[in-house]
Amino acid sequence: MASTIALPGQLLGPTKSNTIGPVTHISGPNLYASIAGPLVSTPSTSKSSPAATISIPRPSGALLPELATTVIGKITRTNPRQASLSILALGPNGASVLREPLPALIRQQDIRATEIDKVKVAESFRVGDVVRAVVISLGDERAYYLTTARNELGVVMAWSEGGNVMVPVSWREFVDEGTGVREGRKVAKPV
Amino acid sequence: MQADRRRINAPAGGTAPPTFTFADHPDLLRRPTRTRKPDEHRKIFLRTGIVPSASGSAYYEVPPAKPAPSTGSLVPTSSSLKITCTVHGPRPLPRNAAFSPNLLLSTHVKFAPFATRQRRGYVRDASERDLGVHLETALRGVIIGDRWPKSGCEVVITVLEGEEDGWFGEGREKGGGWGMMSVLAECITVASAALVDAGIDCVDLVSGGTAALVKGEGGEGEAVVLDPAPAEHEVTAACVVAYLQSRDEITEMWMKGDAGDSTEGLMDQAVRAAVMSRTVLVEAVKEGLKVGGDVQPVNGAPKGGEGKGKDVDMTG
Repeated sequence: MASTIALPGQLLGPTKSNTIGPVTHISGPNLYASIAGPLVSTPSTSKSSPAATISIPRPSGALLPELATTVIGKITRTNPRQASLSILALGPNGASVLREPLPALIRQQDIRATEIDKVKVAESFRVGDVVRAVVISLGDERAYYLTTARNELGVVMAWSEGGNVMVPVSWREFVDEGTGVREGRKVAKPV
Repeated sequence: MQADRRRINAPAGGTAPPTFTFADHPDLLRRPTRTRKPDEHRKIFLRTGIVPSASGSAYYEVPPAKPAPSTGSLVPTSSSLKITCTVHGPRPLPRNAAFSPNLLLSTHVKFAPFATRQRRGYVRDASERDLGVHLETALRGVIIGDRWPKSGCEVVITVLEGEEDGWFGEGREKGGGWGMMSVLAECITVASAALVDAGIDCVDLVSGGTAALVKGEGGEGEAVVLDPAPAEHEVTAACVVAYLQSRDEITEMWMKGDAGDSTEGLMDQAVRAAVMSRTVLVEAVKEGLKVGGDVQPVNGAPKGGEGKGKDVDMTG
Protein backbone atom coordinates (compact mmCIF):
# COMPACT_ATOMS: atom_id res chain seq x y z
CA MET A 1 0.00 0.00 0.00
CA ALA A 2 1.68 3.14 -1.19
CA SER A 3 1.32 6.18 1.00
CA THR A 4 2.08 8.84 -1.59
CA ILE A 5 -0.44 11.65 -1.81
CA ALA A 6 -1.91 12.40 -5.21
CA LEU A 7 -3.37 15.74 -6.23
CA PRO A 8 -5.95 16.38 -8.96
CA GLY A 9 -4.23 16.40 -12.32
CA GLN A 10 -1.19 14.53 -11.10
CA LEU A 11 0.31 12.12 -13.61
CA LEU A 12 0.00 8.54 -12.37
CA GLY A 13 1.66 6.82 -15.33
CA PRO A 14 0.88 5.62 -18.84
CA THR A 15 -2.31 3.61 -19.38
CA LYS A 16 -0.23 0.80 -20.91
CA SER A 17 1.28 -0.16 -17.58
CA ASN A 18 -1.58 0.93 -15.29
CA THR A 19 -5.26 0.05 -15.19
CA ILE A 20 -7.75 2.81 -14.48
CA GLY A 21 -9.29 2.56 -11.02
CA PRO A 22 -11.86 4.60 -9.12
CA VAL A 23 -11.31 8.37 -8.90
CA THR A 24 -8.74 8.51 -11.68
CA HIS A 25 -9.17 9.60 -15.26
CA ILE A 26 -7.45 9.14 -18.62
CA SER A 27 -6.26 12.01 -20.74
CA GLY A 28 -4.38 11.08 -23.89
CA PRO A 29 -2.05 8.17 -23.23
CA ASN A 30 -1.78 8.79 -19.51
CA LEU A 31 -3.64 8.19 -16.30
CA TYR A 32 -4.24 11.09 -13.93
CA ALA A 33 -5.61 11.53 -10.42
CA SER A 34 -9.00 13.22 -9.99
CA ILE A 35 -9.01 14.08 -6.29
CA ALA A 36 -6.47 14.69 -3.58
CA GLY A 37 -5.78 11.61 -1.52
CA PRO A 38 -3.46 8.68 -0.86
CA LEU A 39 -2.63 6.52 -3.86
CA VAL A 40 -3.42 2.82 -3.72
CA SER A 41 -1.99 0.39 -6.24
CA THR A 42 -3.69 -3.00 -6.40
CA PRO A 43 -1.70 -5.72 -8.19
CA SER A 44 -3.54 -7.41 -11.01
CA THR A 45 -4.96 -10.87 -10.35
CA SER A 46 -5.73 -11.81 -13.95
CA LYS A 47 -3.04 -13.04 -16.34
CA SER A 48 -4.50 -11.33 -19.40
CA SER A 49 -3.92 -7.79 -18.05
CA PRO A 50 -0.89 -7.68 -15.79
CA ALA A 51 -1.13 -3.94 -15.17
CA ALA A 52 -1.79 -2.84 -11.59
CA THR A 53 -4.97 -0.91 -10.87
CA ILE A 54 -4.39 2.53 -9.44
CA SER A 55 -7.11 4.09 -7.30
CA ILE A 56 -7.53 6.77 -4.68
CA PRO A 57 -9.85 5.94 -1.78
CA ARG A 58 -11.87 9.02 -0.92
CA PRO A 59 -10.73 10.40 2.44
CA SER A 60 -14.30 11.48 3.13
CA GLY A 61 -15.89 8.16 2.13
CA ALA A 62 -18.33 7.78 -0.75
CA LEU A 63 -20.33 10.94 -1.47
CA LEU A 64 -23.16 9.61 -3.64
CA PRO A 65 -24.69 6.16 -4.21
CA GLU A 66 -23.92 4.42 -7.47
CA LEU A 67 -25.45 1.39 -9.12
CA ALA A 68 -25.25 -1.66 -6.80
CA THR A 69 -24.33 0.43 -3.76
CA THR A 70 -25.81 -0.90 -0.52
CA VAL A 71 -27.49 1.93 1.34
CA ILE A 72 -29.25 2.53 4.64
CA GLY A 73 -32.46 4.51 4.52
CA LYS A 74 -35.57 5.39 6.45
CA ILE A 75 -39.08 4.88 5.09
CA THR A 76 -40.88 8.21 4.72
CA ARG A 77 -44.15 7.20 3.08
CA THR A 78 -45.85 4.11 1.68
CA ASN A 79 -48.63 3.45 -0.77
CA PRO A 80 -49.85 0.17 -2.31
CA ARG A 81 -47.46 0.44 -5.26
CA GLN A 82 -44.24 1.67 -3.69
CA ALA A 83 -42.47 2.79 -0.53
CA SER A 84 -40.60 6.10 -0.47
CA LEU A 85 -37.53 6.46 1.66
CA SER A 86 -34.64 8.79 2.39
CA ILE A 87 -31.16 7.41 1.92
CA LEU A 88 -29.24 8.42 5.02
CA ALA A 89 -25.96 6.51 4.76
CA LEU A 90 -23.97 4.45 2.28
CA GLY A 91 -22.46 1.01 2.79
CA PRO A 92 -23.94 -2.18 4.30
CA ASN A 93 -23.40 -0.81 7.81
CA GLY A 94 -23.88 2.85 6.96
CA ALA A 95 -20.15 3.57 6.99
CA SER A 96 -20.35 6.96 5.28
CA VAL A 97 -23.18 9.16 6.46
CA LEU A 98 -24.58 11.57 3.89
CA ARG A 99 -24.72 15.26 4.63
CA GLU A 100 -28.20 15.47 3.18
CA PRO A 101 -30.74 12.67 2.73
CA LEU A 102 -31.39 11.52 -0.83
CA PRO A 103 -34.89 10.62 -2.00
CA ALA A 104 -35.41 7.02 -3.13
CA LEU A 105 -38.20 4.51 -3.62
CA ILE A 106 -38.74 0.77 -3.54
CA ARG A 107 -41.37 -0.46 -5.97
CA GLN A 108 -43.71 -3.27 -4.97
CA GLN A 109 -42.06 -5.73 -7.39
CA ASP A 110 -38.60 -5.01 -5.97
CA ILE A 111 -39.43 -5.81 -2.34
CA ARG A 112 -38.60 -9.50 -2.42
CA ALA A 113 -37.29 -12.06 -4.87
CA THR A 114 -40.04 -14.70 -4.79
CA GLU A 115 -43.83 -14.52 -5.22
CA ILE A 116 -43.46 -10.90 -6.19
CA ASP A 117 -47.08 -10.65 -7.27
CA LYS A 118 -48.29 -11.48 -3.76
CA VAL A 119 -46.18 -8.84 -1.99
CA LYS A 120 -48.06 -6.12 -0.16
CA VAL A 121 -46.15 -2.95 0.62
CA ALA A 122 -48.10 -2.43 3.84
CA GLU A 123 -47.00 -5.87 5.10
CA SER A 124 -43.36 -5.16 4.24
CA PHE A 125 -42.61 -1.64 5.40
CA ARG A 126 -44.00 0.99 7.73
CA VAL A 127 -43.09 4.63 7.95
CA GLY A 128 -40.02 5.05 10.16
CA ASP A 129 -38.45 1.64 9.46
CA VAL A 130 -34.71 1.58 8.88
CA VAL A 131 -34.02 -0.39 5.73
CA ARG A 132 -30.93 -1.81 4.09
CA ALA A 133 -31.32 -1.84 0.30
CA VAL A 134 -29.34 -1.89 -2.94
CA VAL A 135 -29.48 0.72 -5.71
CA ILE A 136 -30.79 -0.78 -8.95
CA SER A 137 -31.19 2.45 -10.89
CA LEU A 138 -30.35 6.10 -10.56
CA GLY A 139 -34.03 6.48 -11.29
CA ASP A 140 -35.88 9.53 -12.51
CA GLU A 141 -35.18 13.17 -11.83
CA ARG A 142 -36.23 12.70 -8.24
CA ALA A 143 -35.76 9.31 -6.62
CA TYR A 144 -33.16 6.56 -6.75
CA TYR A 145 -34.72 3.12 -7.29
CA LEU A 146 -33.80 0.54 -4.68
CA THR A 147 -34.46 -3.15 -4.16
CA THR A 148 -34.64 -5.35 -1.07
CA ALA A 149 -34.96 -8.61 -3.06
CA ARG A 150 -32.16 -10.42 -1.24
CA ASN A 151 -31.98 -12.21 2.10
CA GLU A 152 -29.63 -9.75 3.75
CA LEU A 153 -31.73 -6.77 2.58
CA GLY A 154 -34.87 -5.40 4.16
CA VAL A 155 -35.90 -3.84 7.44
CA VAL A 156 -33.12 -3.80 10.04
CA MET A 157 -34.84 -1.70 12.70
CA ALA A 158 -38.55 -1.31 13.21
CA TRP A 159 -40.90 0.22 15.72
CA SER A 160 -44.29 -1.21 16.56
CA GLU A 161 -47.58 0.63 16.33
CA GLY A 162 -47.20 1.32 20.05
CA GLY A 163 -43.82 2.91 19.46
CA ASN A 164 -41.62 0.17 20.97
CA VAL A 165 -38.51 -1.17 19.29
CA MET A 166 -39.25 -4.59 17.83
CA VAL A 167 -37.04 -7.64 17.27
CA PRO A 168 -37.12 -9.84 14.18
CA VAL A 169 -38.56 -13.34 14.68
CA SER A 170 -38.69 -14.66 11.11
CA TRP A 171 -37.99 -13.58 7.55
CA ARG A 172 -41.38 -11.89 7.46
CA GLU A 173 -42.21 -10.82 10.99
CA PHE A 174 -41.05 -8.54 13.79
CA VAL A 175 -42.41 -8.88 17.32
CA ASP A 176 -42.95 -6.20 19.93
CA GLU A 177 -41.46 -7.80 23.06
CA GLY A 178 -43.53 -5.62 25.36
CA THR A 179 -46.97 -6.45 24.02
CA GLY A 180 -46.18 -9.60 22.04
CA VAL A 181 -47.84 -8.19 18.95
CA ARG A 182 -46.41 -9.41 15.64
CA GLU A 183 -46.11 -7.15 12.63
CA GLY A 184 -45.26 -8.08 9.05
CA ARG A 185 -42.03 -6.75 7.55
CA LYS A 186 -39.54 -7.68 4.84
CA VAL A 187 -36.92 -8.58 7.43
CA ALA A 188 -33.22 -8.33 6.62
CA LYS A 189 -31.23 -11.44 7.53
CA PRO A 190 -28.75 -10.42 10.24
CA VAL A 191 -25.21 -10.32 8.86
CA MET B 1 -32.13 46.91 -10.58
CA GLN B 2 -34.70 45.89 -8.05
CA ALA B 3 -34.44 47.50 -4.66
CA ASP B 4 -33.64 45.59 -1.52
CA ARG B 5 -37.00 45.49 0.27
CA ARG B 6 -35.95 43.37 3.23
CA ARG B 7 -33.72 45.81 5.02
CA ILE B 8 -33.77 49.44 5.94
CA ASN B 9 -31.20 50.82 3.56
CA ALA B 10 -29.24 53.99 3.78
CA PRO B 11 -29.78 56.55 1.03
CA ALA B 12 -27.82 55.46 -2.04
CA GLY B 13 -24.32 56.85 -2.03
CA GLY B 14 -25.15 59.67 0.33
CA THR B 15 -23.83 58.79 3.73
CA ALA B 16 -20.15 58.04 3.30
CA PRO B 17 -18.43 59.71 6.23
CA PRO B 18 -15.86 62.30 5.24
CA THR B 19 -12.29 61.13 5.63
CA PHE B 20 -9.80 63.85 6.34
CA THR B 21 -6.21 63.61 5.37
CA PHE B 22 -3.66 65.87 6.94
CA ALA B 23 -0.54 67.34 5.55
CA ASP B 24 1.45 65.99 8.47
CA HIS B 25 0.59 62.47 7.33
CA PRO B 26 2.50 62.61 4.08
CA ASP B 27 2.19 58.85 3.59
CA LEU B 28 -1.54 59.21 3.12
CA LEU B 29 -1.24 61.78 0.40
CA ARG B 30 1.34 59.91 -1.56
CA ARG B 31 0.32 57.07 -3.78
CA PRO B 32 1.59 53.78 -2.32
CA THR B 33 4.44 52.43 -4.41
CA ARG B 34 5.09 48.87 -5.38
CA THR B 35 7.92 47.54 -3.25
CA ARG B 36 8.12 44.11 -4.81
CA LYS B 37 9.62 43.27 -8.18
CA PRO B 38 7.41 43.49 -11.30
CA ASP B 39 7.38 39.70 -11.57
CA GLU B 40 6.85 39.05 -7.89
CA HIS B 41 3.54 37.91 -6.43
CA ARG B 42 2.30 39.13 -3.10
CA LYS B 43 2.49 36.63 -0.25
CA ILE B 44 -0.54 34.37 -0.05
CA PHE B 45 -2.16 32.66 2.91
CA LEU B 46 -4.45 29.77 1.98
CA ARG B 47 -6.03 27.15 4.20
CA THR B 48 -8.71 24.56 3.51
CA GLY B 49 -11.37 23.05 5.73
CA ILE B 50 -12.26 26.08 7.82
CA VAL B 51 -16.06 25.77 7.72
CA PRO B 52 -17.13 22.48 9.38
CA SER B 53 -20.72 22.63 8.14
CA ALA B 54 -19.75 22.85 4.46
CA SER B 55 -18.53 19.90 2.38
CA GLY B 56 -15.48 21.92 1.46
CA SER B 57 -14.13 25.33 2.30
CA ALA B 58 -11.07 27.49 2.01
CA TYR B 59 -9.82 30.85 3.20
CA TYR B 60 -7.49 33.06 1.19
CA GLU B 61 -5.66 36.13 2.29
CA VAL B 62 -3.16 38.50 0.78
CA PRO B 63 -1.76 40.59 3.58
CA PRO B 64 -0.88 44.23 2.87
CA ALA B 65 2.54 44.66 1.36
CA LYS B 66 3.82 46.77 4.21
CA PRO B 67 2.43 47.55 7.64
CA ALA B 68 0.30 50.65 7.81
CA PRO B 69 2.31 53.69 8.83
CA SER B 70 1.69 54.66 12.42
CA THR B 71 -0.08 57.86 11.60
CA GLY B 72 -2.97 57.17 13.86
CA SER B 73 -5.27 57.51 10.90
CA LEU B 74 -8.01 54.98 10.34
CA VAL B 75 -7.58 55.15 6.57
CA PRO B 76 -5.40 52.27 5.43
CA THR B 77 -3.01 53.16 2.65
CA SER B 78 -3.15 49.82 0.88
CA SER B 79 -5.78 47.17 0.83
CA SER B 80 -5.37 43.54 1.66
CA LEU B 81 -7.58 40.78 0.34
CA LYS B 82 -9.60 38.32 2.36
CA ILE B 83 -11.83 35.75 0.70
CA THR B 84 -13.70 32.77 2.08
CA CYS B 85 -15.16 30.06 -0.10
CA THR B 86 -17.57 27.30 0.86
CA VAL B 87 -18.61 24.40 -1.35
CA HIS B 88 -21.88 22.58 -0.73
CA GLY B 89 -22.29 19.36 -2.60
CA PRO B 90 -22.65 17.09 -4.32
CA ARG B 91 -26.18 17.46 -2.99
CA PRO B 92 -29.54 16.36 -4.40
CA LEU B 93 -31.23 18.73 -6.80
CA PRO B 94 -34.36 20.59 -5.72
CA ARG B 95 -37.68 18.77 -6.15
CA ASN B 96 -38.73 20.57 -9.30
CA ALA B 97 -35.41 20.28 -11.15
CA ALA B 98 -35.19 18.20 -14.30
CA PHE B 99 -33.00 15.09 -14.58
CA SER B 100 -29.39 15.99 -15.14
CA PRO B 101 -26.71 13.40 -15.97
CA ASN B 102 -24.04 15.89 -14.90
CA LEU B 103 -23.20 17.89 -11.84
CA LEU B 104 -25.02 21.24 -11.93
CA LEU B 105 -22.58 23.89 -10.82
CA SER B 106 -23.72 27.21 -9.42
CA THR B 107 -21.47 29.95 -8.18
CA HIS B 108 -22.20 32.95 -6.00
CA VAL B 109 -19.76 35.74 -5.39
CA LYS B 110 -20.71 38.35 -2.82
CA PHE B 111 -18.75 41.21 -1.41
CA ALA B 112 -19.39 41.83 2.26
CA PRO B 113 -20.99 45.27 2.70
CA PHE B 114 -17.79 46.46 4.36
CA ALA B 115 -15.41 44.83 1.89
CA THR B 116 -14.47 47.87 -0.12
CA ARG B 117 -14.18 51.58 0.48
CA GLN B 118 -17.46 52.03 -1.32
CA ARG B 119 -20.09 50.24 0.68
CA ARG B 120 -21.85 47.30 -1.00
CA GLY B 121 -25.48 46.38 -0.68
CA TYR B 122 -26.82 43.14 0.75
CA VAL B 123 -28.19 41.98 -2.60
CA ARG B 124 -25.72 40.91 -5.26
CA ASP B 125 -25.23 43.67 -7.78
CA ALA B 126 -24.34 43.38 -11.47
CA SER B 127 -20.58 43.29 -10.96
CA GLU B 128 -20.85 40.54 -8.36
CA ARG B 129 -23.07 38.47 -10.62
CA ASP B 130 -20.57 39.06 -13.41
CA LEU B 131 -17.76 37.72 -11.24
CA GLY B 132 -19.92 34.70 -10.47
CA VAL B 133 -20.34 33.94 -14.18
CA HIS B 134 -16.60 34.27 -14.80
CA LEU B 135 -15.90 31.97 -11.87
CA GLU B 136 -18.40 29.42 -13.12
CA THR B 137 -16.75 29.19 -16.54
CA ALA B 138 -13.37 28.84 -14.87
CA LEU B 139 -14.55 25.96 -12.67
CA ARG B 140 -16.77 24.21 -15.20
CA GLY B 141 -13.68 23.32 -17.22
CA VAL B 142 -12.01 21.45 -14.37
CA ILE B 143 -14.88 19.57 -12.72
CA ILE B 144 -15.58 16.07 -14.00
CA GLY B 145 -19.32 16.57 -14.02
CA ASP B 146 -20.44 13.16 -15.26
CA ARG B 147 -19.23 11.49 -12.05
CA TRP B 148 -22.11 13.16 -10.19
CA PRO B 149 -25.43 12.56 -11.91
CA LYS B 150 -28.60 14.10 -10.47
CA SER B 151 -26.72 16.39 -8.14
CA GLY B 152 -25.78 19.99 -7.76
CA CYS B 153 -22.83 21.79 -6.32
CA GLU B 154 -22.86 25.29 -4.96
CA VAL B 155 -19.72 27.39 -4.68
CA VAL B 156 -20.30 30.38 -2.42
CA ILE B 157 -17.62 33.03 -2.14
CA THR B 158 -17.68 35.88 0.33
CA VAL B 159 -15.16 38.63 -0.20
CA LEU B 160 -14.46 39.96 3.28
CA GLU B 161 -11.97 42.51 2.12
CA GLY B 162 -11.68 43.40 -1.53
CA GLU B 163 -9.01 44.97 -3.63
CA GLU B 164 -9.30 48.72 -4.16
CA ASP B 165 -10.18 49.77 -7.68
CA GLY B 166 -7.55 52.48 -7.56
CA TRP B 167 -5.81 54.82 -5.19
CA PHE B 168 -8.37 56.50 -2.97
CA GLY B 169 -6.58 59.82 -3.34
CA GLU B 170 -7.67 59.97 -6.96
CA GLY B 171 -11.29 59.91 -6.06
CA ARG B 172 -14.01 57.43 -6.66
CA GLU B 173 -14.67 58.10 -10.31
CA LYS B 174 -11.12 57.20 -11.36
CA GLY B 175 -11.55 53.57 -10.38
CA GLY B 176 -11.75 51.45 -13.51
CA GLY B 177 -12.86 48.24 -11.88
CA TRP B 178 -9.29 46.93 -11.87
CA GLY B 179 -9.67 45.54 -8.38
CA MET B 180 -12.28 43.09 -9.67
CA MET B 181 -9.66 41.44 -11.84
CA SER B 182 -7.43 40.52 -8.92
CA VAL B 183 -10.45 39.47 -6.90
CA LEU B 184 -11.53 37.10 -9.69
CA ALA B 185 -8.08 35.52 -9.91
CA GLU B 186 -8.07 34.92 -6.19
CA CYS B 187 -11.67 33.64 -6.25
CA ILE B 188 -10.61 31.00 -8.79
CA THR B 189 -7.70 29.84 -6.65
CA VAL B 190 -9.69 29.69 -3.43
CA ALA B 191 -12.62 27.93 -5.12
CA SER B 192 -10.26 25.30 -6.49
CA ALA B 193 -8.91 24.64 -3.01
CA ALA B 194 -12.44 24.36 -1.61
CA LEU B 195 -13.53 22.00 -4.40
CA VAL B 196 -10.61 19.68 -3.68
CA ASP B 197 -11.45 19.89 0.01
CA ALA B 198 -15.01 18.82 -0.80
CA GLY B 199 -13.64 15.80 -2.70
CA ILE B 200 -15.25 16.73 -6.01
CA ASP B 201 -13.46 15.15 -8.95
CA CYS B 202 -11.42 17.58 -11.02
CA VAL B 203 -9.13 17.09 -13.99
CA ASP B 204 -6.57 19.41 -12.43
CA LEU B 205 -6.05 22.13 -9.88
CA VAL B 206 -7.04 25.46 -11.36
CA SER B 207 -5.33 28.61 -10.25
CA GLY B 208 -5.98 32.21 -11.15
CA GLY B 209 -3.42 34.81 -12.08
CA THR B 210 -3.51 38.49 -12.97
CA ALA B 211 -1.13 40.64 -14.94
CA ALA B 212 -1.51 44.30 -15.85
CA LEU B 213 -0.05 46.79 -18.23
CA VAL B 214 0.79 49.83 -16.12
CA LYS B 215 2.20 53.26 -16.76
CA GLY B 216 5.87 53.40 -15.85
CA GLU B 217 7.54 55.67 -13.30
CA GLY B 218 6.53 59.24 -13.81
CA GLY B 219 3.93 58.34 -16.40
CA GLU B 220 6.50 57.41 -19.05
CA GLY B 221 6.41 54.15 -20.95
CA GLU B 222 4.48 51.05 -20.06
CA ALA B 223 5.45 47.94 -18.17
CA VAL B 224 3.82 44.60 -17.45
CA VAL B 225 3.54 43.65 -13.80
CA LEU B 226 2.29 40.45 -12.20
CA ASP B 227 -0.37 40.53 -9.51
CA PRO B 228 -1.03 44.28 -9.64
CA ALA B 229 -2.43 46.14 -6.68
CA PRO B 230 -4.46 48.86 -8.43
CA ALA B 231 -3.72 51.39 -5.72
CA GLU B 232 -0.03 51.19 -6.60
CA HIS B 233 -0.26 51.59 -10.35
CA GLU B 234 -1.99 53.46 -13.11
CA VAL B 235 -3.39 50.47 -14.95
CA THR B 236 -4.13 50.67 -18.67
CA ALA B 237 -5.01 47.01 -19.28
CA ALA B 238 -5.29 43.90 -17.18
CA CYS B 239 -5.78 40.22 -17.82
CA VAL B 240 -7.01 37.36 -15.63
CA VAL B 241 -6.59 33.71 -16.53
CA ALA B 242 -7.66 30.48 -14.92
CA TYR B 243 -4.86 28.10 -15.73
CA LEU B 244 -4.46 24.33 -15.42
CA GLN B 245 -0.74 23.83 -15.17
CA SER B 246 -0.38 20.11 -15.62
CA ARG B 247 -2.59 20.14 -18.73
CA ASP B 248 -1.38 23.53 -19.97
CA GLU B 249 -4.95 24.70 -20.52
CA ILE B 250 -6.81 27.91 -19.85
CA THR B 251 -10.43 27.61 -18.77
CA GLU B 252 -11.18 31.31 -18.38
CA MET B 253 -9.65 34.47 -19.71
CA TRP B 254 -10.79 38.01 -19.01
CA MET B 255 -9.02 40.98 -20.47
CA LYS B 256 -9.94 44.58 -19.94
CA GLY B 257 -8.51 47.83 -21.22
CA ASP B 258 -6.37 48.57 -24.25
CA ALA B 259 -3.30 46.38 -24.27
CA GLY B 260 -2.36 47.14 -27.87
CA ASP B 261 0.24 44.79 -29.27
CA SER B 262 1.29 43.49 -25.86
CA THR B 263 -1.92 41.46 -25.52
CA GLU B 264 -0.17 38.13 -25.80
CA GLY B 265 2.61 39.15 -23.46
CA LEU B 266 0.01 40.18 -20.92
CA MET B 267 -1.66 36.78 -21.15
CA ASP B 268 1.68 35.00 -20.77
CA GLN B 269 2.44 37.02 -17.65
CA ALA B 270 -1.01 36.27 -16.23
CA VAL B 271 -0.29 32.58 -16.73
CA ARG B 272 3.00 33.05 -14.89
CA ALA B 273 1.12 34.62 -12.00
CA ALA B 274 -1.29 31.67 -12.01
CA VAL B 275 1.64 29.25 -11.83
CA MET B 276 2.93 31.16 -8.80
CA SER B 277 -0.36 31.00 -6.93
CA ARG B 278 -0.61 27.30 -7.79
CA THR B 279 2.46 26.54 -5.69
CA VAL B 280 0.61 27.88 -2.67
CA LEU B 281 -2.56 26.03 -3.70
CA VAL B 282 -0.70 22.70 -3.89
CA GLU B 283 0.82 23.17 -0.45
CA ALA B 284 -2.51 24.19 1.07
CA VAL B 285 -4.28 21.14 -0.38
CA LYS B 286 -1.54 18.82 0.89
CA GLU B 287 -1.69 20.44 4.31
CA GLY B 288 -5.46 20.01 4.36
CA LEU B 289 -5.04 16.30 3.66
CA LYS B 290 -2.54 15.93 6.48
CA VAL B 291 -4.87 17.57 8.95
CA GLY B 292 -7.67 15.28 7.81
CA GLY B 293 -5.34 12.28 8.08
CA ASP B 294 -4.47 13.09 11.68
CA VAL B 295 -8.10 13.03 12.67
CA GLN B 296 -8.77 9.55 11.34
CA PRO B 297 -6.77 7.44 13.82
CA VAL B 298 -8.80 9.00 16.64
CA ASN B 299 -11.81 7.17 15.24
CA GLY B 300 -9.91 3.92 15.73
CA ALA B 301 -9.32 3.11 12.08
CA PRO B 302 -6.01 4.38 10.78
CA LYS B 303 -6.31 2.38 7.57
CA GLY B 304 -8.42 -0.27 5.93
CA GLY B 305 -11.15 1.49 4.05
CA GLU B 306 -13.40 4.42 4.32
CA GLY B 307 -14.55 5.55 7.72
CA LYS B 308 -14.60 2.08 9.27
CA GLY B 309 -14.26 3.65 12.70
CA LYS B 310 -17.73 5.08 12.47
CA ASP B 311 -19.34 1.69 11.97
CA VAL B 312 -22.71 1.30 13.56
CA ASP B 313 -24.09 -2.18 13.94
CA MET B 314 -27.52 -2.00 12.36
CA THR B 315 -28.22 -5.67 12.03
CA GLY B 316 -31.10 -5.47 14.50
